[in-house]
Amino acid sequence: MKKTVFLGLFLMIGLVLFAQEKKAQQFPSVDIKTLDGKAFNTKDITNEGKPIIVSLWATWCKPCLAELMAIDDLYEDWVEETGVKLYAISIDDAKTASRVAPFVNGKGWEFTVLLDQNWDLKRALNIVDIPFLCILNGDGEIVWQHTSYAPGSEYEVFEIVKKIANGEPIE
Amino acid sequence: MKQIKLVITLLFLFAVGMGYAQNSGHISGDVCFNGMFYIPDSLIGAEKVESKVRANSWLNLNYNNGGFTLGARYEFYLFPLIDFEKIGYKGQGITHYFADYKTDLLQVTVGTFYEQFGSGLSFRAYEDRQLGIDNSLLGARFRVNPYKGVAVKGVWGIERNNFDFDYTKRSDMIRGIDGEVSLDQIFEKMQEKGFSLAFGGSFVSKFEKSTEYQGLIPPEKIPQNVGLYAYRINFGFKGFRLEAEMASKINDPNLTNDFIYKKGEALLVTTTYSQKGFGVSASFIRADNMDFRSQRNISATTPLLGINYIPAINRQYSYQLLGNYSYASQPNNQIGFQGQVNYQIPKKSKLGGKYGTDLTFNYSRFHTIEQIPVEEALSLGTPSGTDGYTSSFFKFGKDLLYQDIGFDVTKKINADWKLMLGYNYIDYNLLILQGHGELAHIHHITSEVTYRINRKHALRGELHALFTKQDMGDWIYGMLEYSISPNWFFSVGDQYNYGNQAEAMRIHYYNFSVAYVVGATRIAANFGKTKEGILCIGGVCRAVPASYGFGLNITTKF
Repeated sequence: MKKTVFLGLFLMIGLVLFAQEKKAQQFPSVDIKTLDGKAFNTKDITNEGKPIIVSLWATWCKPCLAELMAIDDLYEDWVEETGVKLYAISIDDAKTASRVAPFVNGKGWEFTVLLDQNWDLKRALNIVDIPFLCILNGDGEIVWQHTSYAPGSEYEVFEIVKKIANGEPIE
Repeated sequence: MKQIKLVITLLFLFAVGMGYAQNSGHISGDVCFNGMFYIPDSLIGAEKVESKVRANSWLNLNYNNGGFTLGARYEFYLFPLIDFEKIGYKGQGITHYFADYKTDLLQVTVGTFYEQFGSGLSFRAYEDRQLGIDNSLLGARFRVNPYKGVAVKGVWGIERNNFDFDYTKRSDMIRGIDGEVSLDQIFEKMQEKGFSLAFGGSFVSKFEKSTEYQGLIPPEKIPQNVGLYAYRINFGFKGFRLEAEMASKINDPNLTNDFIYKKGEALLVTTTYSQKGFGVSASFIRADNMDFRSQRNISATTPLLGINYIPAINRQYSYQLLGNYSYASQPNNQIGFQGQVNYQIPKKSKLGGKYGTDLTFNYSRFHTIEQIPVEEALSLGTPSGTDGYTSSFFKFGKDLLYQDIGFDVTKKINADWKLMLGYNYIDYNLLILQGHGELAHIHHITSEVTYRINRKHALRGELHALFTKQDMGDWIYGMLEYSISPNWFFSVGDQYNYGNQAEAMRIHYYNFSVAYVVGATRIAANFGKTKEGILCIGGVCRAVPASYGFGLNITTKF
C-alpha cells in the first residue's frame, strides 16, 4: 500500500517536473518582517517592472557577507545602469535578529533588508543552504538562481540583470 | 495517524493532478543527500561503526496554486550519520505534511507546521537540520489579520518527537494564542513622525497526563496543565529601537529543574541605534527555570520536545577553532548581556581608503543566576517537590559561564585584495557548559585574505590560532580555498592540536574538499578527520563524535 502510494507520487512528480520545465516559478507569498518589526508580505517585493535580486543571508554566514559586500561595492553602478533593486532577506533568528539593523547600517548597505526569523520563506523557496541568490524579472518570476558564493560570481549576476533590463532572453 | 497521512498524500496527488490538468499551479522542492564512509581511527577516537556507509537524506515537495499550498517531506535516516544516531535521530517516514490556505485576511494550516510567537520565549516550533532538531507540531494553526496593524495567531497540536510517529499513544499536546497590535499602522501620523510602536502578548499551555516522580511526588501533585504567558513591546524612533519581551511560566515541575514548583521567568531586552556607517546594540537576558517541554521527563541534555526558545544572545562566530567553545544557552539558569559596535570608516576617506574599512567591537558576559535554596529543600535534602530556591532578579550568580571580548577589522585594499583580522579573549566554563574540566581562558586570533586572480579565479586563505592553558591546549588552523566562479571550489585545511599536553594527542585534523555548484545544485566531496567536540548553531549545541572518512553531499532544489 505504502509503496504504491510512494511510487505513484514519485512518478507523478517526475512527470510534472518534466512537463513544467519551462514554466518559471512565481516568487512565493510569505509573511515576514521589516527591520522595524512590521509585517511584510513577500508578494510586495516589486520594482516597477525592473529586475529584482533577492538574497537570503545571515549575519553569521561568512560567504553571505562576502557576497553582499562584493555587490555593495558595485551596487551604485548596477542601479544606475539597470534600475535593479536588491532585497537582502536575513534568516537570523531571535538570538541575532535584533542586531541585523545596526549591522547593516554599520556596513552602510543600501539594500532593502527584511527578516525571515522562523524560516518560513526559506522553506517556501526550498532552500537548503545559504547564501542563496535569485533574480526575478519584472513580473516577479524567478528566472535565475544560485547557491553558495565564489568571488567573481557577482559579475555573472549582473550579466543576467542586464539581460532582463534589456528584455533579452536568459539562456 | 496513518489515515491522516494517506489522506494528505492522496489530496496532494489529486491537487497536483488537477492543477496540472488545468495548467496552473507550481511544484517546487528540494532533495538532499548527505553521506559518509567511515574509517575507524582509534587515536582521534573515531569508533568502528556498525555500518560504515551512512547517510541522511530527504525530499521536500511543495505544490502551490494561488493561496493554496500543499507540502510534504520524506526523510530517510535509517542509517544516519553517527552524530545523528547518537542523538536518536534515526528512522524514516513522511515527517512533514500540510495543507495551507492563505488570503490577506486569513491563513489556515492543517498538518505539521512551524510557528513562532514574539521572540520565541513563549513558543517556537522550528527546525535545524544540521543539529537534528525538528520541533514541528502536528495539528492546526491559524493566523488572522482582522484589521490593519492587528495580527492574531493560534496553534494546537502534538509536537514531533524524532521518528516516533505513534501520535495516538501520546498523552501530551500544546495550545497557544498570540496577538500583536502595531499602533503606528493604525495611527499613520506616528509613522510620518518616525515612530513605530507595537504591543504583543501570548499564552501557551501544555497538557500532559500526570505521572508520579520517583516515589517523591504523587501523580495528583503533578500539574497536568502548565501555562506560560509572555508580553512584549517594540518601540522605534528613527535610528533607535527597543525590543523587550517578558515571559513567566507557572507550575512546571520537570526533570530539567529537579521537579521544583518555582515560577519560571525570562526577560529579553535589546536596544539598538544605527545610522549610516555606524551601529550599536546592547542586549540583556535573564532566564530562570524556563526550560519548557512537551514531556516533563525529558532530560536537559537533548533538545527534544522543546516548546519555547531561550536564545543565546552572544555574538555568533563561524571560526573553526572556536567551534568547541561556543556558548550554549542555559534556559533554566543564565543572566547576561551582550554589546556590539559596528563602524565603517567612510569610503573614499584617508583612513577608510577607496572602499571603506569595517570595524566591529563586541563584549558579552553571562553568569548563572543567584539561587538561594528554600528552607524546605534544605530540610528535605532535595529540592524536588518544593519551590526549590529564591533568586533576586537582577543579581548575577557566582559562576561565570561565558565572557567574550572581541575586535575585528575588514578592509578591502584594492579590487584584488581583501583582508580580515580579528582577536578574541574568551572565558569559557567547561564544567557547566560541557560537563567536564574547569574555566578555560582562551586567546584567539583570526586572519583571512582573499585574492582575486582575475574575474573568475580567486584564492582565499584563513589562518587562525587558539591559545589556552586549559582543556586541549593550543591549536592552529590553516585553510586554502581556490574557487573558479561560479562553479568550482577546492579547499585544503588542517587543524593541528600542537599544544596538547599528551604528546600522542598532537594530531592533525586535515580535510580536503571539492565542490561543484551549478544553479541551485551543489555536489561536494570531502575527505578528512573531524575532531570530537561540540557543534553549536544558534546557541543550541550537541556533541559531535570524532570521525574520519570520505563524505559526499548533494543538495538541489527545483
